[in-house]
Amino acid sequence: MHYILQSYNYNLSDPESIPNLFLKHLTLVGIIMLISLIIAIPVGLLVARYRRLYLPVVGISDVLYTIPSIAAFAFLIPITGLTPATAIIPMVLFNQLVLIRNTAAAVNGIDPLLIEVGQAMGMKPQQVLFRVTLPLALPVIVAGIRIATVTTVGIAALAALVGQSDLGDLIFQNLAVFDPDAIAAGAILTAFFAIVADLLLLSLQIGLNRGRSALSVE
Amino acid sequence: MEKIAFHAITKQFPGSNKPAVDAVTFAVPEGTTCMLVGTSGSGKTTLLRMVNRLIEPTSGEIIIDGKNVLEENPIQLRRHIGYVIQQVGLFPHLNIAENIRVTAEIAGGWTKQRLAARVDELLDLVGLPPAEYRKRFPRQLSGGQQQRVGLARALATDPAVLLMDEPFGALDAITRARMQDELLRIQRDVHKTILFVSHDIEEAFKLGNMIAVLNEGQLMQLGTPVDLLANPANEFVRRLVGADSILRQLEYLPVIDALDNEPEAVSSAHWGDIPIIASDATLLTAMLKLLETNAPALAVQDKDTQETLGYITLASINSEITKARSKVSSREQTRI
Repeated sequence: MHYILQSYNYNLSDPESIPNLFLKHLTLVGIIMLISLIIAIPVGLLVARYRRLYLPVVGISDVLYTIPSIAAFAFLIPITGLTPATAIIPMVLFNQLVLIRNTAAAVNGIDPLLIEVGQAMGMKPQQVLFRVTLPLALPVIVAGIRIATVTTVGIAALAALVGQSDLGDLIFQNLAVFDPDAIAAGAILTAFFAIVADLLLLSLQIGLNRGRSALSVE
Repeated sequence: MEKIAFHAITKQFPGSNKPAVDAVTFAVPEGTTCMLVGTSGSGKTTLLRMVNRLIEPTSGEIIIDGKNVLEENPIQLRRHIGYVIQQVGLFPHLNIAENIRVTAEIAGGWTKQRLAARVDELLDLVGLPPAEYRKRFPRQLSGGQQQRVGLARALATDPAVLLMDEPFGALDAITRARMQDELLRIQRDVHKTILFVSHDIEEAFKLGNMIAVLNEGQLMQLGTPVDLLANPANEFVRRLVGADSILRQLEYLPVIDALDNEPEAVSSAHWGDIPIIASDATLLTAMLKLLETNAPALAVQDKDTQETLGYITLASINSEITKARSKVSSREQTRI
């Protein structure tokens, strides 16, 4: 607790100060989530459309999910060294399961009648996608993003072990010298980051539920 | 003027041995409400959905305004045909105004102000005060209100043709009756050409000026309600419309046909003051009035000129009914 309150830990020119570590953690999580979504959402849409692809794709993502992240980091070190890629690649693959499954479930959960109504109005396929499918699927997709973000925030702290400097530094770099204050600070700040991210995305999810009851995921 | 024409339109679904729609041919004049009636599986919904190509015909042609719909781009075609379905299908993530606008937005060519004005105009037309309903969401509306919005949405682009697939089927009897009255009122205003699928013959008689009876994919008969009652083409049609029922006949035969041929002088002196009935009334109305007033006769008065055209008595109604029914039984005799 002490550590968090000490003002010298907020010196912005110090790369190990709390704000800088937080920013680096935020950047890392941001990059991982962005790449994860760029891959997962189109795949999720594809898999919802072509049902035969669902089992193989979800099966593969499931395997990627099962691999412990820290083992994956270690595995990549000989290949990608201590660069950000070592942390980003495993985490992006890890997130695919949740994001693809949620996207596919979201799209499949839409009443096919509404799609037909859209077509009967003369909507082109892209118009159906952007006016009907995606808006209706968005709340469930955001629910998936929430879950993925929260786990990413936590696991990203482990990236400190493979050369990525973030809030995890406060924990791991102080284990050897045993500074319980710093360690506790790292833990608390990481948890706090995860909770705030969750709440922000939750309010986004509720906000997207226009016209439906607040927490309905349909 | 023919608005919609079906030429030997057929639909055979893969895997079934009978066509769902079998070489149906008929034409619908502009401004008509044409009811497609039949039992379940008669092909009426399939036929309807081929008009906007949600189902593609196996063979045959559908001509709208002289153009074969099968040669047009289906997406462009659908932007000018209104479609109303039983489950309504309003988009839950859009409010009422946005729901109504969407057809017009897709069709294109509307400015924001025109869209807003159009939404209000349509809400007024379907009987929902705009200020109150514009910003509401579908789940806040009752079934009847949702279907009114569905109708408004279909009318947004001012399409010439309206396709309605049992739109009031999911509503309770009271709301359904009210919605049918609303549709009649709206149709008096907008004069659309409507194809309306219904399995309810009462609804067909109430709403339609033309009825197409379908059975197992084939067109059994096409005609006005009176045509079907007076001259059913076959046993199926006869039973479907209840042509044998006296009540039905009373409902559709006009009083003009049953005038008693009493000399006027004898009648008024003979009966004294008797109640008046309009010349466009049906025999049923006349019968009910006779029961209500316990009068010996009714004076039939021309609606416009107010002159007395003749008299209706129970006896004259009876002879008219007997005539109509004997026509039916003589048809049966010749069939043997």
